[in-house]
Amino acid sequence: MNTEALKELLYKMADDLLIFGHRNSEWTGLGPLLEEDIAFSSMAQDKIGQSHALYQLLATLGEPEPDAAAFTRSANQFHNCQLVELPNGEYDFSLIRHFLFDTADALRWQLLTQSSYEPLSLLAKKIKGELHYHTLHANTWIKQLGSATEESISRLQNSLAYTLPYALGIFEESPNEGEIIHSKIFLGEQALKTKWIVKIEEVISQTQLHLPNLATIAPAYGGRTGKHTEHLQPLLDEMSEVFKIDPTAEW
Amino acid sequence: MKSLDPRVTRLPEMESTKAKKPLDQFGTFEVFVQAKEGKPFQHEGAVHAPNLEMAYVLAKETFTRRFTCTSIYVADTCDIFVSPTTEGNQSAYELIQSENSNFSKKTFEIYQLAKRGKQHVNVGTVEAGAPTEAMFLAKDLFGTGKIIYNVWAIDKSKIRFTSDEEKDLWLTLPEKKFRDASDYKGGDKLKEFLERPKQ
Repeated sequence: MNTEALKELLYKMADDLLIFGHRNSEWTGLGPLLEEDIAFSSMAQDKIGQSHALYQLLATLGEPEPDAAAFTRSANQFHNCQLVELPNGEYDFSLIRHFLFDTADALRWQLLTQSSYEPLSLLAKKIKGELHYHTLHANTWIKQLGSATEESISRLQNSLAYTLPYALGIFEESPNEGEIIHSKIFLGEQALKTKWIVKIEEVISQTQLHLPNLATIAPAYGGRTGKHTEHLQPLLDEMSEVFKIDPTAEW
Repeated sequence: MKSLDPRVTRLPEMESTKAKKPLDQFGTFEVFVQAKEGKPFQHEGAVHAPNLEMAYVLAKETFTRRFTCTSIYVADTCDIFVSPTTEGNQSAYELIQSENSNFSKKTFEIYQLAKRGKQHVNVGTVEAGAPTEAMFLAKDLFGTGKIIYNVWAIDKSKIRFTSDEEKDLWLTLPEKKFRDASDYKGGDKLKEFLERPKQ
């Protein structure tokens, strides 16, 4: 097995989940309903828990411990897609991002239950219930608001148009793609993208939303190789604030 | 009201003849939780939601974020039929009149309140044409002779249950100790802080 290729896969997944979890946690206390505030905060905790498990796997492969991996790298050392670092904006955007990202994420983990790298396949099986809830939550909201009022439909439609280029950036291929597929660690970004399109079409077809032709959209690539928007570094500065004052702080 | 007293005129005119604005809130749905496999479902509280499916999704985190659980279900508050309540001097079952309905039989879930201040607990189902009939029949089936303060009946077809494939939603819950305040041992940390040597 090519360890460098494996590490790259683990880093991009862990970074996606850490940054996405942090962004979602920014809704805590501000959610549109008490119940939704709690749900979104719980899912943020799940994401950060999942990223922690991946950083732990990386540590067994000789990489830094989870806290150091999360809090001491700068933006250009992060491999998350740009989608997850975008500021929350309004709730319609956060919901669309949640739907587009979590659909891909749940499918990715589902494929990884078959991974030849056993620690990853075990983790994938362990967290399947969390992912089940995240997609149930996202799909239910999109179906609800995607067919509710003129305002909710047009807000989601506009957010969908804005978010899709970034969502396609999830599937940016790595130079190690062939190696990853050949060693049966993961089926690859292209296979994932094909499955993702089927899933999002299935949900969107149950609403009054319209999915633009994805072939005409230029994906926002760069995140996987450390090229990020101006929004990532401020997020990292805030997230690592306590760690930088006192690395031994305990909660 | 005309008055020179500013404490009176500061109040808006009463508009009692005008219709009240509708509530700008969602309706409520009642949430029932099963703590362990084989244990009865117990009423835990309510969530606000626009419909039954959204209520299920929101109830999951609102009521099962912390303590281990195996399943939940929800029903619209309007679909809960409530018996008269007693003060403990007699059983609520004694206040339910026999009623034979001609409606076709449906399955009703029955819940009993065994003590004031506790929650309604599911005791089983009965087949009946109407909720009152269901409660009346429940007396013979579940009334153990103990005082029951209140009885609920819900038409089973109105409940959003957890499906078998959704049982995995709570798989990792027992590991999430960080959601439990006691896991932070706040008291111990405070004690340690107060007792630290002064510098």
